[in-house]
Formats: sequence, C-alpha cells, structure tokens
Amino acid sequence: MTEPGFLDIISFGADGWGAALAAGAWMTILIAIAGFAIGGLIGTFGAWAKISGGPVVRGCAEAYTTILRGIPDLLVIYLFYFGGSAVVTAVGQLFGAEGFVSLPGFIAGALAVGITSGAQQTEVYRGAFRAVHPGELEAATACGMGRLLKFRRITAPLTLRYALPGLGNVWQVVLKESALVSVTGVVELLRQAQIGAGSTSRPFDFFFIAAMIYLAISTVSGLILQVTERRFSRGVRRG
Amino acid sequence: MNMSAAVTAPVAIRVHDLHKSFGPVEVLKGVSLEAREGEVISILGSSGSGKSTLLRCINMLEVPNSGTIEVAGEAIRLKTSSDGRSRPADQKQVDRIRSELGMVFQSFNLWSHKTVLENVIEAPVHVLKRPRVEAVEEAEALLAKVGIADKRNHYPSHLSGGQQQRAAIARALAMRPKAMLFDEPTSALDPELVGEVLRVMRGLAEEGRTMLVVTHEMGFARDVSSRVVFVHKGTIEEEGPPQEVFTRSKSERFRQFIKS
Ligand SMILES: Nc1ncnc2c1ncn2[C@@H]1O[C@H](COP(=O)(O)OP(=O)(O)OP(=O)(O)O)[C@@H](O)[C@H]1O
Ligand SMILES: [Mg+2]
Repeated sequence: MTEPGFLDIISFGADGWGAALAAGAWMTILIAIAGFAIGGLIGTFGAWAKISGGPVVRGCAEAYTTILRGIPDLLVIYLFYFGGSAVVTAVGQLFGAEGFVSLPGFIAGALAVGITSGAQQTEVYRGAFRAVHPGELEAATACGMGRLLKFRRITAPLTLRYALPGLGNVWQVVLKESALVSVTGVVELLRQAQIGAGSTSRPFDFFFIAAMIYLAISTVSGLILQVTERRFSRGVRRG
Repeated sequence: MNMSAAVTAPVAIRVHDLHKSFGPVEVLKGVSLEAREGEVISILGSSGSGKSTLLRCINMLEVPNSGTIEVAGEAIRLKTSSDGRSRPADQKQVDRIRSELGMVFQSFNLWSHKTVLENVIEAPVHVLKRPRVEAVEEAEALLAKVGIADKRNHYPSHLSGGQQQRAAIARALAMRPKAMLFDEPTSALDPELVGEVLRVMRGLAEEGRTMLVVTHEMGFARDVSSRVVFVHKGTIEEEGPPQEVFTRSKSERFRQFIKS
C-alpha cells in the first residue's frame, strides 16, 4: 500500500479522500440543520410555555431547560441512541421482529442535538420576546387579530429580529455538537476524518482538513446570518 | 356638531355599570357611559383615575369584572371561568368587535418592522380579508388625508412622533371603524407636534365620527367635543356638554381640575 500525500488526501480521484470528506461535511450540515430546526420548534414552544403558560406548563419548561443545562450533551446523545433503540426494539418485538433493532444514528443524533439546542433556543426566544415593545403586540390585538395571525404577522417577526444574534451563537454550538453524533456510527465529518486517519499514517492531515472544513462552514453560515440579520432589523425602534 | 342629532342618533357604544379591579384594587367602580353616533366624548381626569382602563375595557384589552359593554347594539358576551375570573365567552366575537373599533395609543404602537403603508394595510388585508390592491388605494388616500402621503415607504422609526401618530390614526381609520378610541394621543409628543395631531382629530370630529378621547388637552375638550366626562377615582364625577361643565360645574373637584 502506498502512503498518500497531502494532495492525495484532498483529491477527488479514485485514491483520494475528497469525495468521502465532502460527503462527511454534507452529513454534518444535515445533522446541524435538522437539529437546529427541531431545536427551533422546541424553543418556540418552550418560550411560549415560559412566557404565557400556566404554573404547570411553566414548571415543565423550566425543568426541561434546567435539566438539559446540567447533562453533558454527549450523554444526551447516548440516552437518545440507546433509549430510542430500546423503544424501537420493544416495538419491533411486539410485531414479531427478533433481536436488537437500533434507531438510525442520524435520527437519534438529530433529535438529541435538537433537544439540547431547543433548551438554548427557548432562552434565546424568551429573551428576544422581552425586547419587543409590548404596545406593538397590543396594537395587533386591538385591531382584531386572532392569536395565530398575530403570532405569524407581528409577534414572530418582531421577536426574530432580536433573537437572530443569539440564534447565531446557538447555530455555531449545534455545528460543533454535530461532531458528537459520530459516536452513533453516523459518518459525518469528524467520523470520516477518523476513518481516514486510522487507515493511513497521516492522522494530523485528516484532522487538520476537517478543522478547516468546519471553519469554512461556520464562516459561510456566519455571513448568511449577517445578511439575514440586516434584513430583519429594518426599521428597528430607536430608544 | 348638531346637538339635537346627538340625542336621537343610534347608540354606538354603551357601557353600563362597569367594574374593574386589578388584584385587590378596584379601579372602575360602576361606570356607565353612552356614546351616540357622531358624538365626540372627551374623557378627563387626573392620573390613575381609571381613564385608560375604561377605554381599554371597551375593546376588551382589559376584561371587566362585571358590567356590560355594547358596541352598535351588540353586547359583548362574558363568562365567569372556574377560577372566578371574568373572560370573553366568545373570542371570535371579541376579535370582530375589536376590528370595528379603531384604537389610537399614547405611544403610537406602529409595527416597527413594517413601513407606514404596510402598517395601514395590514389589518384590512389580513383581518378583514379585503383585496390588497383596494386596501393600498384606500391607505394612500388616508395617508394623504392625515398629511403623510410622502412617508408611506418609511419605517416608523424614521418618522417624528407627530407623523407616527398620524400614521397610527390612518391605520385605525383603514378598518372603517364604527367608533374610535384615543388614549392620550398627544401626551407623548413634543409640544410643537401636538397641533398637527389635534388638527387631524378635529377633522375627524367634523366628519361626524364617533370618538372617545382620553386627553389632557383642555382646548380640544372644550372646542371639539360634544360631551365631556370627568372621571375621578373610578367613577364619573361630572358629565355634560363642554360649554356647561366648563363654565358652571357643580363638582368642586372638576373646577379644581380644570384650574390646575
Ligand atoms: N395592568 C394593571 N395591573 C395593575 N394595576 C393597573 C393596571 N393597569 C392600571 N392599573 C392601575 O389602575 C389605576 C388606573 O389606571 P389607568 O391607567 O386607568 O389610569 P389613567 O386615568 O389612565 O391614568 P393616566 O392619566 O396616568 O394615564 C392606576 O392606579 C394603575 O396603577
Ligand atoms: Mg392612561
């Protein structure tokens, strides 16, 4: 076996690792997007629960964010992977399947990342909502908007503009956390780099390239965020 | 306006025996008020007397503990929920009645993420489901009427307070309201901007619009309104046509109030 050079590692040719690394990067992006979106959904409900829920609902939301702040994210992924698999196995046996059925790593990973980022997004949305001028919301009520219409047309866009900087931070965290999902066997960027590192004698090169790709993803998404932020902050109230 | 018409015109808003408490504090202690179509009622009173609360009960921004509110002859249905609090029995009815009452706030409350024109067409298009083209046409006419047609593509934060309040009035008018509620529309304005807003309101009064105006502008109350209501500690202490109450009020408190 001939040892590949640095250029062979990144080449997209037959012996190169380029295509594999690109696929890994793509998987990383997919996990991050799925996790972030699930977190957004959870965060929206979490913030709503904390802001306008009754004592029980609020207590649940409070417990959720507190617990997730206290558990290592890696552990959450394990819990989801093995817990989810146990559930799937039990259901499978119900229908006559035999042996251990594992929950697909991607689903377990995206859910786990979603649950952790949901806790962070809950706080981001709640803080952002506080910054919205209450009179603007009251004006929507006063002209006869129903709850959903008011949320869609007024509350959400106003909250989002104050949430975007915080959401940017959450996104960066999610991107990094997606690497933890490699423990479930999903071949994302870090896992692919490990595979490459293990099957050649150039581990540093692989990890270095992986780091560069992570950096590129976060830089590009940072730019996209900046543009979005500018769009959403048109007409921000002064003072 | 024509005073005899005011007596025979249909009732636009009727408030009867309204009570409202915040926690242990009773803010409205049995207020009754009637506004006939075309009437302009100025609501006066010192700070904390319950003027805003009264206005906000009419469109259910505050839910009264007891009493009745009728808009154009339709009573808002309330129910008492299991925790003993009073709440609307039919949210759809409340939303519809709100859409028939134009409210103008002290702090303008324009939607800051929308341009002036977008602010004005928002509720007509999305609440009343009117065709957008038609709503835009009407909005432009209204903005011209309040004198800010040239600002229609500006965001509220780029407007002066007076311009913002005139935009807010246009936004309320765009709903073709049966009555308008003003809560201290000029109190947040620099003195030199008060006039332009009052001029617009005077114009609306002359058009025969039904208006309930909480205000500290004695000139407006005296010259424009058909009736003045003086609220003191949650009850109506004095009430009558301005030329009567401003010259010969029986209420010592009201005489003190207008002197200060
Ligand atoms: N949401 C609320 N919760 C608790 N107390 C309230 C609330 N809204 C008003 N109050 C109290 O009710 C009383 C009457 O308030 P209201 O705003 O109706 O007075 P106002 O006559 O409009 O006064 P101002 O001229 O200062 O606007 C005040 O003592 C106020 O503190
Ligand atoms: Mg007030």
